[in-house]
Amino acid sequence: MWRLYLRDVFYTLGVAATGATLTFAVAIPVCGWLRARAFGPVEFLLKVPLFVPFVVVGHALRVFLSPWAPGLAGSWTGIALALAWKHLGLAALLLLGAFRAVDESHLEAARNFGAGTARLTKDVLVPMSAPSLAVSAVLIFSSMLASFSIPLMMGRGGGAQMLMIDVYYRFGQHGDFETAAALGVVGYLMAMGAALVYLKRLTPREAAVTQLKRRSLE
Amino acid sequence: MTRLIARAAALAIATFIVLGPLASLAVWSLAERWTAPSPWPQRFGLKYWNRMLSADFLEPLRLGVVIALVVTALALVLAIPLGYALARLSFPGRAVVLLAFLMPQAFPQLPVFASATREFYRWGLAGTVSGVVLVHLVGGLVFAVWTMTAVFRAIASELEEAAWNLGASTTRTFLSIALPLAAPGVAASALLVFLYSLDEFTGTLLIGAPFVTTLPVYMYTASQGYELQIASVTALVLMLPGAVLLLALDRFLKSEYLVFFGQL
Repeated sequence: MWRLYLRDVFYTLGVAATGATLTFAVAIPVCGWLRARAFGPVEFLLKVPLFVPFVVVGHALRVFLSPWAPGLAGSWTGIALALAWKHLGLAALLLLGAFRAVDESHLEAARNFGAGTARLTKDVLVPMSAPSLAVSAVLIFSSMLASFSIPLMMGRGGGAQMLMIDVYYRFGQHGDFETAAALGVVGYLMAMGAALVYLKRLTPREAAVTQLKRRSLE
Repeated sequence: MTRLIARAAALAIATFIVLGPLASLAVWSLAERWTAPSPWPQRFGLKYWNRMLSADFLEPLRLGVVIALVVTALALVLAIPLGYALARLSFPGRAVVLLAFLMPQAFPQLPVFASATREFYRWGLAGTVSGVVLVHLVGGLVFAVWTMTAVFRAIASELEEAAWNLGASTTRTFLSIALPLAAPGVAASALLVFLYSLDEFTGTLLIGAPFVTTLPVYMYTASQGYELQIASVTALVLMLPGAVLLLALDRFLKSEYLVFFGQL
């Protein structure tokens, strides 16, 4: 059994890592730019995914991708894209909060030395909010590990599956609760690794706020 | 000038990335004919929106609303006294109670729902509306208890002390001082729980199957049967609560209540 699912464990880790990387690759420069020069409409758009339910995101990305790139939706790239899309809202919320907590005087000092928005983000904002960035990354990564509705809606091709899809099919289709429970524990252990970092970094108050925001519409 | 161009470009890219997938839902919901190689539907029409008026769409909608109303009422009945106690009293294990309500949310949910389903089979609750209500209540209580605790914390306790000094009983103080002051918070909490329940998918799919179908489950079934248009219409309807929340959250929840979250 373990040989059967080991591949899916790595697949899940890979999809979550790709998705989280994608999310931050978009969110960091955009939030840095928004911190340097506020622009309401873009900020509003960034937060929209936060309020779209997971099932809807899965279906929307499936129908968005399938006419242009058939086969992409159900693949690992498609799932990573959809996960990144959904978590963009949360990432923007957390990063903007962290970036706005950086004192304006630091930005002005950097600007006086001729730093543009890109350098401001790379050399001032990111290093100064590194702890919150790390926590956001962990939070988003573990949420992607545990994702179920999005991969389910994107369609199930052959080959490797996300771990939670395995749990569902083991339990729902085969009635094999024992294996499903074991896979669930594997999922817990993966989330636990992430949660350890999370608890070490965050005060309970921040933890609760981010949890609530994260779960606001799942 | 360059700044203007940068802004316009940023807005265009953000619009495409964020609204693109949502717009394609709208396109699909109107596509009466769309065969594979064409990048665009061959025929548009309202055929699938008209299907919304049929029973197989309205029944899941009605059931989902009924479940959400029951869940909201139960969650408030439990969370208002509990939130008040957690905000005002200090008793041993208070922090544990607050954390216990976060626990189901901190880990992958699906295995929890799977074990719940197994237990519910034993009690005859699997596949029933009561089972789905119970499972929504677990998630709904997280929002309700935490918001209500924050809301009661935001009310100055001096007001209640004044009432006690004037001879009002604890119950009377709660009913005529604390509760009316907490009304906007209660509304916000109710909204959160109601919308959560309406959009809840995973728990409903596991516990409710095969007899309880709410809109998210209906959408999943439609998309599995390659009825992508039906699923798209349903998806658009499911996005409405989120839009309401997006607007309401700014109004009710943003500042003062969130500040108090998690002050254990």
